[in-house]
Amino acid sequence: MTMLQVSDLTFKIGSTQILNGVDFTIEAGETVGIIGPNGSGKTTLFNCLSGFHIPSGGAIVYQDKSITKMKPYRRAELGIGRVFQNFAVFKEMTVSENIVTALESRMSPWKTFFPWSKQNKINKQKALEYLKEVGLEEKAEDKAGSLSGGQMRLLEIIRTLAFGAELFLLDEPTAGVSPKMKEDVANLIKLLMKEGKTIIVIEHDINFIHKFCKRIIVLDVGRVVLDDTPENIRTSPVLQEVYFGNGKAANG
Amino acid sequence: MDYGIHLLILICIYTILAQGLNIPFGVGHLFNLAHVAVYAVGAYTTALFSTELGIGFWGCIYSSMAIAGLFSLFIGGISLKLSHDYFAIGTIAFSSVISALLINWKSVTRGVLGIPGIPRPELFGIDFYENSNFLVLVAVAMVIVQFVLYVFLRNSYGRTLRAQSEYEQGALSLAKNTVRARTVSFLISSCAAGLAGSFYAYYINYIDPSSFSLVEMIFVLTIVVVGKPGSFWGITASTAFLVLLPEPLRFIDIPPSILGPMRQMLYSLILFGVVWWKKETLFPVERTV
Ligand SMILES: Nc1ncnc2c1ncn2[C@@H]1O[C@H](COP(=O)(O)OP(=O)(O)OP(=O)(O)O)[C@@H](O)[C@H]1O
Ligand SMILES: [Mg+2]
Repeated sequence: MTMLQVSDLTFKIGSTQILNGVDFTIEAGETVGIIGPNGSGKTTLFNCLSGFHIPSGGAIVYQDKSITKMKPYRRAELGIGRVFQNFAVFKEMTVSENIVTALESRMSPWKTFFPWSKQNKINKQKALEYLKEVGLEEKAEDKAGSLSGGQMRLLEIIRTLAFGAELFLLDEPTAGVSPKMKEDVANLIKLLMKEGKTIIVIEHDINFIHKFCKRIIVLDVGRVVLDDTPENIRTSPVLQEVYFGNGKAANG
Repeated sequence: MDYGIHLLILICIYTILAQGLNIPFGVGHLFNLAHVAVYAVGAYTTALFSTELGIGFWGCIYSSMAIAGLFSLFIGGISLKLSHDYFAIGTIAFSSVISALLINWKSVTRGVLGIPGIPRPELFGIDFYENSNFLVLVAVAMVIVQFVLYVFLRNSYGRTLRAQSEYEQGALSLAKNTVRARTVSFLISSCAAGLAGSFYAYYINYIDPSSFSLVEMIFVLTIVVVGKPGSFWGITASTAFLVLLPEPLRFIDIPPSILGPMRQMLYSLILFGVVWWKKETLFPVERTV
C-alpha cells in the first residue's frame, strides 16, 4: 500500500523558490532517510507535509486522500506525526503529562472531562508504560524542561507513538543529542519499525541512517537529486557534487 | 463587621473575575486585556435589564453571561488575526471601543452619569438588601465558578490550552484544534467576567464607566500575576491578599483624594515588581519550526 505520494511539489516564500518540484512515493512500513546540505529544503518539505506550509503547487496524497491543503491538526488526526528539529516537548508540563495529552487526542473529551475520572488514571498508567520503553519512568513527575536534549528527543518520539501516528516525520532526531544517547534514539526508531510504522527521517549523519534505512533520498536546492539504496548513494558522484561541488562542506 | 462583609463580597466578585482571566491569560498565555471591558458588558447588561426591563435575578445573570459570552467572539476574532503582542494591542483597542460606547451611547448607557437604582435581587423570599445575605449568594456563585474552572484547568482541555501556549505546532501535530481551544478559553473567561459584572452591578446598585477603566484591568492583571498565572489556588489566595492589602491605609489619616491614587500606585508597583522578577514564566517563548 502506498502511504505517501508527493508529486511535483513546489513552495516559495515571496519570490524565493524553496522547493522546486519534489517527487517521491513512500510505501507503508518503509523507513526512508532524507539527506541534503543545510538549507536544501528538508525542513520546508516536512512543513509542507504536516501542513504548516501550504504548497504553491503540486500534490500530496496520504493513504489515498489528498491532503495538499488540509489543516495541520486534521493531518495529524489522519496519523501524520511530526518530531521537530528543535524539541517540541511541552517543557512546563511534566514528562508524564506530555504523554497523557497525546493519548487524549484520540479520545472523546467527555471521557477525560473530570480530572478525577477513571480514564485519566488509565491514561496516566499507560503513559508510564510508554515511558518505560525509553527509560524515562523515573522522570515521570519531573518537568519536561528539566530533561537533557537526548531525553527530550526520546520523549517527543514516544509521545508521537502514544498519540498513534502511522507516518513518522523525524526532523534530525539526533540534533542536540549527546553521542552516547544517539544509540537510544536509534533503538527507539527500530522499535517504531518493529511496530510497523512508516518513517521518514531527515539526518545529516549518513552513518546513523545507514543503520536502518534501505532507501535514502538526497535533496539539493529543493529538488530530489538521488533516490536509491545507501550503498549506491555513498558511491554516487552526484552526492560528491551536491556536498563538495559548489564549495559547500559536507556536514557530518 | 459590616465592613468585613463588604470586603468579603469584593473578594468573591474579584475571584470570579480573576479566575476567569486566568484561563486565557494564565493557562493559555493569551494576553487578553479586554477582560474588564467584558466585565463591564456583564454589569451593564444586568443594570439595564433590571432597571429598564424589570427582569429578575436569574434572567439577569444568565443574560449577562450570555451577552458577555457573545463578546468573546470578538476577542476570538482578534486572536485569529493577531498573535502575541499584537493580540494584546488588539484587545486594548477593543476595550477602548467598549469604553467609548459606554461613555457616548448616552441614550442607552446614560454616559458618565451611569445607571443608578439597580435593585438587589429577590429570590426564595430572602432579602438580599442585607449584605450578609448577599454575601452568601455571591459566595455560592464563587464556589460554583471555582469548581467549573478547576475542572477546565485540570482536564484534557486545560492540557490542550497549555500545550498551545508552549508550542503551537507541537500541539497541532498531536491533532489539537488550537484555534478552538483558544476560542473556548475566551468563552469561558467572558462568561465568568459577565457573571462577576452582574454581581458587581447588583451589589453596588449604581454603575458608571469609571469602574471599568484600564486601572481596573491592571488590578485584575496584578491578581493573576501575583497568584502565578496558570495556578488555581494561587489566584484565589492572591485575590484575597490584594483586596485586603490596601486596607491598613484606611487607618492612616489621609484624605480619600490621595487614598485612591495611592492604591492604584501600590497595585501598579506590585505588578511591575512581579513582572520584573518573574518575567520568564509569564510570556510565551516565540518559536520557529
Ligand atoms: N520563513 C522563511 N523565510 C525565508 N526563507 C526561508 C524561510 N524558511 C526557510 N527559508 C529558506 O529556505 C531554505 C530551506 O530551509 P530549510 O529549513 O527547509 O532547510 P533544511 O534543509 O532543513 O536545512 P537544515 O539542514 O539547516 O535544517 C533555506 O535557504 C532557508 O533560508
Ligand atoms: Mg532543517
